[in-house]
Amino acid sequence: MTPLTETGWLGAAGALAAAPVIGFAFGWFLERGGLGSAPKLAGQFYLTDLTVFKVMFSALLTAMLGAFWLDRLGVLQLDLVYLPETFALPQAVGGALFGVGFLVAGLCPGTSCVAAATGRRDGLGVIVGMLIGVWLFNAAFVWVEPLYSATPMGSIRLTDLVDIPSGAGVAGVTALALIGFAVAGRIERADR
Amino acid sequence: MRRPRPYTDPYLAGIGVGLVLLAAYVVVGQGLGASGAFASVVASGTAALQGTARAAMVPAVAPYLPFGVSSPLRDWLVLELMGVVAGGFASAWLAGRLRRDTERGGGVSSAQRMTAAIAGGVVMGFGAKLARGCTSGQALSGGALLSVGSWIFIATCFAAGYACAPLARRLWR
Amino acid sequence: MTRLHTALALVAAVLAGAAGAADLASPVASRQPLAFIGAPDLAARIMRGDATLRLFDLRTADAYQQFHIPTAVHAAPADLADVPLEPGTDVVLYGDDRRALTEGVRAMPAERRSRVRVLREGLSEWLGRVHEPRLAADATPEERAEFERAAAMSRFFGGMPLANVPRAEVPAGYWTGTPRSDDLLAAAALQSVATIRRRGC
Repeated sequence: MTPLTETGWLGAAGALAAAPVIGFAFGWFLERGGLGSAPKLAGQFYLTDLTVFKVMFSALLTAMLGAFWLDRLGVLQLDLVYLPETFALPQAVGGALFGVGFLVAGLCPGTSCVAAATGRRDGLGVIVGMLIGVWLFNAAFVWVEPLYSATPMGSIRLTDLVDIPSGAGVAGVTALALIGFAVAGRIERADR
Repeated sequence: MRRPRPYTDPYLAGIGVGLVLLAAYVVVGQGLGASGAFASVVASGTAALQGTARAAMVPAVAPYLPFGVSSPLRDWLVLELMGVVAGGFASAWLAGRLRRDTERGGGVSSAQRMTAAIAGGVVMGFGAKLARGCTSGQALSGGALLSVGSWIFIATCFAAGYACAPLARRLWR
Repeated sequence: MTRLHTALALVAAVLAGAAGAADLASPVASRQPLAFIGAPDLAARIMRGDATLRLFDLRTADAYQQFHIPTAVHAAPADLADVPLEPGTDVVLYGDDRRALTEGVRAMPAERRSRVRVLREGLSEWLGRVHEPRLAADATPEERAEFERAAAMSRFFGGMPLANVPRAEVPAGYWTGTPRSDDLLAAAALQSVATIRRRGC
């Protein structure tokens, strides 16, 4: 039945039309949660404001549990949903670089757009910086390519790696996240 | 100008984001994203400046230019990000949070903050291309699907951020 | 707020616990991540006349008529369920879109699925790596040696090896990295590959 685009219910034009609608909702909730404000986001790294962790992982949990059960109930064909390919080394290095940039900028690509949309000039600055960063990557691609293409592992899930059923993986991640939320609450209370 | 309303509970906002992500899986068979749109815009800009044929020969740019169509509007992620801008604006407007401002920590000037924003953005842009995604695309969308690379990204992203936090303290205190 | 949080946490815990229990009790056939084969490896097997290889083209019939990999048979993804296959045969699929490939893999009987391989970048990879291998004008001796091998293979398939290509058109890693089709879109355009829906994050 779904994904609609993969089962013939929605064509390419429909998919493109859905994009801004989905984006609108995304931007809406990000702003609602306060993720359009760089000091709030940066507080994550100083353990004063754990909003980023709470929003990200409750979103992850919701989508993960929702996807699992919709798949189990036959509503969603999960293996028709695009699963990004894993390239372990460049994603580790890129992730680390991204984390440093995120700390300094205080906003990530999506939230920088929210910030800019709400009038924050620093949001605009991050956007400009990212366009430059992408351009630099393209310019340096010839040298970066060996790292970029290293360690391909295909479209692989955590549950494929350790060979457990996906439901067990879902349960494990949920447990970790809930523990994380409890710890986050403690940390924030202690900080007051 | 409305008085700014307090933010929604982060868990509720997060559930909202999660439902949007789930809707994306169900409707278009893919997750959300952001950095890909930036890559697409740069690719189109490159094509506009250098001509599409030459741009298509640049390995990092070519995947974004199928058949010489160099309009970023063709790209799903760009349209999605335009929606993000509209949604963020609408939410802030209704909550009285629209404000022309340069948000920063107490220890730096606006100019220093802007420099940091741009510099951080440059590093993020580079890192996101290398990692094939960002917090929206890899951490969130790939993470919810339990993709190994996405979780590697989550781990190294936050580890690096926390590790370097003491060095950037001045920016945010 | 905390009571709401506790309620939400309980809902999550119940859903997650049920998920674990459900999968442990009646495991769904584990999803097979798509396994890949590189175009040069595929070409080598075809050249050897490997009888254990069955190659299927999952694109449209028109595209197949225009050009297909030698020895490939045209098929719709659903047809793969009915194709008689001896045990021990390896199946390789290629196509334009991921949906057709995933459906194709899923149509195969369960015990075969782990032996199915897919061309990561479809026909573009074949064209770029086998049909038209390219050598930069300022190639190193190692690259020349690789190219000679690839050129022989290309001629076998009636292709057109390209020597003396500007260095900029031979991306780093072409001869040593994992196969990519980043610079092959011009060739792909000639072969009426369906519109690529941009993926990415």
